[in-house]
Amino acid sequence: MAGAGTRAIVAAMDALLMVQALTRRFGRTPAVAGLDFRLCAGEVVGLLGPNGAGKTTCLRILAGLLAPTSGRVVIAGHDMQHSPQRAKRHIGYLPERPPLYPEMRVEEYLTQVARLRGIPPGAVTRAVGRALRRCGLDAARRRLLGRLSKGYRQRAGLAAALVHEPELVILDEPTDGLDPVQMREVRGLIAELAERSAVLVSSHALAEVQASCRRVLVLDRGRLLHDGPLDAPRALRVRLARPPAPAALAALTSVATATAEAGAPGTFRVQLGADADAEQLAAGLVAAGWGLLEMMPERTDVERLFFRSVGMEAAA
Amino acid sequence: MIAAIAARDWLAAFRTPLGWVLLAATQAILGYVLLRVLDLFTGAEPPVRSAGLNLELTHNLFGTAAALLLLVVPLLAARSLGGELRDGTWPLLAGAPISLGTILLGKFLGLALLVLPLCLLPLGLGLTLIGAAQVDPGMLLAAALGLWLTGLLFAAVGLFAATLTRQPVAAAVAAYGLLVLLSVVNRTELLGAPQLGVLDWLAWSQHLFWFLAGVVRTSDLVYFVGLIALFLALAHRRLENAGLD
Repeated sequence: MAGAGTRAIVAAMDALLMVQALTRRFGRTPAVAGLDFRLCAGEVVGLLGPNGAGKTTCLRILAGLLAPTSGRVVIAGHDMQHSPQRAKRHIGYLPERPPLYPEMRVEEYLTQVARLRGIPPGAVTRAVGRALRRCGLDAARRRLLGRLSKGYRQRAGLAAALVHEPELVILDEPTDGLDPVQMREVRGLIAELAERSAVLVSSHALAEVQASCRRVLVLDRGRLLHDGPLDAPRALRVRLARPPAPAALAALTSVATATAEAGAPGTFRVQLGADADAEQLAAGLVAAGWGLLEMMPERTDVERLFFRSVGMEAAA
Repeated sequence: MIAAIAARDWLAAFRTPLGWVLLAATQAILGYVLLRVLDLFTGAEPPVRSAGLNLELTHNLFGTAAALLLLVVPLLAARSLGGELRDGTWPLLAGAPISLGTILLGKFLGLALLVLPLCLLPLGLGLTLIGAAQVDPGMLLAAALGLWLTGLLFAAVGLFAATLTRQPVAAAVAAYGLLVLLSVVNRTELLGAPQLGVLDWLAWSQHLFWFLAGVVRTSDLVYFVGLIALFLALAHRRLENAGLD
């Protein structure tokens, strides 16, 4: 018992962000209710939920913009309510709508943010240069923020959130409204961020979270429905042009079990072997000459939970 | 930090047409007022009539400038704070490791710097007469100080009003309401009520009057500083509570 207690304390001390029984009401309506979770350094966590689930409210509380009705937020050991300024030093927050001053130039704006963030005057130029490089804004440093495209505006917002090298980065729908190329760039940046910071990304798009997060929190109507790892799917659905017998498919080294889908000729549900991945399965199917037409992941628990929470699937 | 916030507001005003249009319009109106005043003192026996020139100058030039500030400063204050809330830039300030008091003082300093050139315009116009007439620079300086303090009071009231609502227009209207109340609070005799000393003391125009007469009294300074501090404290309280409603 004592060992478990000690482990819990050590885990709590390691946590960069600790959220305890967080509740926030607007009038009588609870926007978030009884949230409990932790985030450690190096983690990339997705906050998933349909629109109106309370994601933005939750992130605004974590960033110190909104006071909770009850509960605690502790960031790097500093309680947000009792020492907000110390807690805020460790956070970089990008709201859904990047907070940009249209009449400022990109470099000027980042300098202003660096000053607000308390970076010593001697280090401001270096910090701004680093943020510009990381977010690919070097070429746009002299441009007015009001004249930037949506993708560049998002980058400028990200640069502002990162200029002080925060340990915890909170991104609210960072890829919303971006084109696929820009989305990929932002995902790349998130992956890069994870090397030195903990990242909490909110999204209403499951694919978005799957692309960049290792762990997922599913929020619905203010409640936390799920908190767990988001592993690569082990079950896949494949459609073949020249389907073999299921036993032949199961004989592949990368396959543990294979069953034919009833009513869908040439479609199989394949469970990957212990050390195999989707790439090996695809290579095996192609080498066997069965004509791979389609391969997609089976629904994970998180996916089921998400679709149930958005009302697209009946409760199982 | 306060200076950084103020500098950005200053930059925002002068990188957009706002600041320049404001200066140009004020200068045009005050120039017209100056010509009207000079009209009274030209013609026959100007040396005899120039005795009241300084008082006419301060009352007309600075009085008109005060009326302009009454119209303009609530709008500037609403834009300064309400604009941040409306344009979504508030998280940048509120999410930074600085206190709400620092943000508010930064906004106030920004407005104070923006009001300053508007107060220097009538001073400059008055001083152009040096050499041509017996102008009292001390009296004009006192009037400019009084005008600036009045502008600062309007700014503090405007900032408080901006914390009441997220809508800049509604904030400006609320500030006008408060300032009109502070302007007419000593006119109780109009309502049939006897004139009360304390209400007379509350009206800003009574205190500006002494500055325009070239008299800098400690009681008037206390009035302006006290009322500015009161409205800034109220604004701070509103901002602190804004996270809870």
